Amino acid sequence: MNVHVSQSLALGNLTLTEAADAVARGDVSSVELTRAALNAVAARDKIVNSFIWRDEEEALTTAAALDAMQRAGRRLGPLHGVPLAHKDMYYRAGKRSTCGSKIRADFRPTYTATVIERLESAGSISIGGLNMAEFAQNATGHNQHYGHCGNPWNAAYCPGGSSSGSGASVGARLVYAALGSDTGGSIRLPASLCGVTGIKGTQTRVSRYGVMPLSFSADNVGPLARSARDCARIMRVIAGHDPHDPTSSTEPVPDYEAALTGDIRGMKIGVPTNYFLDDVDPEVMAAFETAVGVLKALGAVIVPVTVPHMDAVTTYGSLLSRVEGAAIHAQWMRERPQDYAVHLNARLYASYGIPATVYIEALARRGELLKAVAEAVFSKVAAFIVPTIRIKAPTLKETDIDAGAEGSIEFFNKLSVNTRPMNYLGVPSVSLPMGLDSNGLPMGLQIQGRPFAEGTILKIADAFQRGTDHHSKLPPMLS
Amino acid sequence: MPGPPDIATVVRDQAASWSSVTPPNAVAEKLAEAFADTIASLSALRGGLAFEQEPASFLAALQETKEVAP
Repeated sequence: MNVHVSQSLALGNLTLTEAADAVARGDVSSVELTRAALNAVAARDKIVNSFIWRDEEEALTTAAALDAMQRAGRRLGPLHGVPLAHKDMYYRAGKRSTCGSKIRADFRPTYTATVIERLESAGSISIGGLNMAEFAQNATGHNQHYGHCGNPWNAAYCPGGSSSGSGASVGARLVYAALGSDTGGSIRLPASLCGVTGIKGTQTRVSRYGVMPLSFSADNVGPLARSARDCARIMRVIAGHDPHDPTSSTEPVPDYEAALTGDIRGMKIGVPTNYFLDDVDPEVMAAFETAVGVLKALGAVIVPVTVPHMDAVTTYGSLLSRVEGAAIHAQWMRERPQDYAVHLNARLYASYGIPATVYIEALARRGELLKAVAEAVFSKVAAFIVPTIRIKAPTLKETDIDAGAEGSIEFFNKLSVNTRPMNYLGVPSVSLPMGLDSNGLPMGLQIQGRPFAEGTILKIADAFQRGTDHHSKLPPMLS
Repeated sequence: MPGPPDIATVVRDQAASWSSVTPPNAVAEKLAEAFADTIASLSALRGGLAFEQEPASFLAALQETKEVAP
């Protein structure tokens, strides 16, 4: 069946859960959804450059098979027939996985990531590999090898990174959701800047088998999607122990979606009195204060909290992923340093100067610092909220380290100051839209809770989205 | 008597001797120099954490501090 442009736009504006439920009811076929997604990519990806590669024929073949299966009375799972795409670092046996790099331009793994197997077992379709920072190591959206990724709200601005294509493709309504990865904010930063919802779970919550590593201690797999409900559905599918990843938790996975009641009356939510609101741009601060007001109006009890030891959390947190990334890249840094972008090989190089004793110190303090934060904060509140990014969205030009843009390194560092601490502490954290700045670019609200409190932070995010329409606003290219 | 080497020199020597990695560009040297701030931050932490000498496990801490079913 041919899908007309107007129908494509209407289908493309559904959330993931709406699209999946429409397929389940038989209101729309998987082929129609997939054709609509491919039409959207053809029309709009030239603006944002969110895809590195696509396999349209395989996507349509899979969609047709899923439709036939449903007609025969069988459904694979809660994502049956929904087209997705993922950051190009999730391995699929025999398929290209560039990791956004020249070094792995032709890399074809021989095995498939557990999260990809789980998503496909739940019925989802993958239409391609998404643009990303080279080896997932910058926060801006620059990629020297596959072209820079643009922000769907204004392509001159940063989409955030390192899951830049994931944020841009979901924000531009090309796919219903995308996997990203988050080691210092790489899901939440593009979620914030592209106006979508993205969650990193508790460290160990989601398997990392078959996923390009950046930092063994701080890497997380998670979705970017159009709503908290979308994220809840995907997290239910991908979370849980994986025998292939011995670091993955055996903690039971609850039905996150079932817990989204919209009722947060009486729930205590913290607002930090230290660190997280320092030097916040006035426009971001105004949006944050409005968001606090929304949660209060929904019945939440707002409680000031002081997050202890932030000097230690930020100092140690800045070291872990750098040392581990340097160790992973040592062979290529010796043999092919010229094949990295300047900003990346420069960052990797410097990390070889961090002594092992300091790295061990950062690891050894991690548990005690988590316990101290839990005692001081999570004994008082169910979650605490901060702006995901303290500054307004910067442009690609002003953050281009490789082009020698003045102040670009400082921009680079500023983007992740509110996200990176959650990776060191290992706590779950979700970013969702909280408004637009005066340039028309999205700003994000970040919610974090105790370990394994994914359900609680998604419940707060869902309640917020029931009370606001920031997440359903469309970028100018679509309105 | 010469003073202590600057940070960029320390990083260059360590990267070369332990990992056989050499500075790829000028930005790399600039980022190495930025470690002076990190070192100052680490120095400021010394002795300030009450649990500094205690054994610890991050995975155990995740379990110990996890959310119980709401």
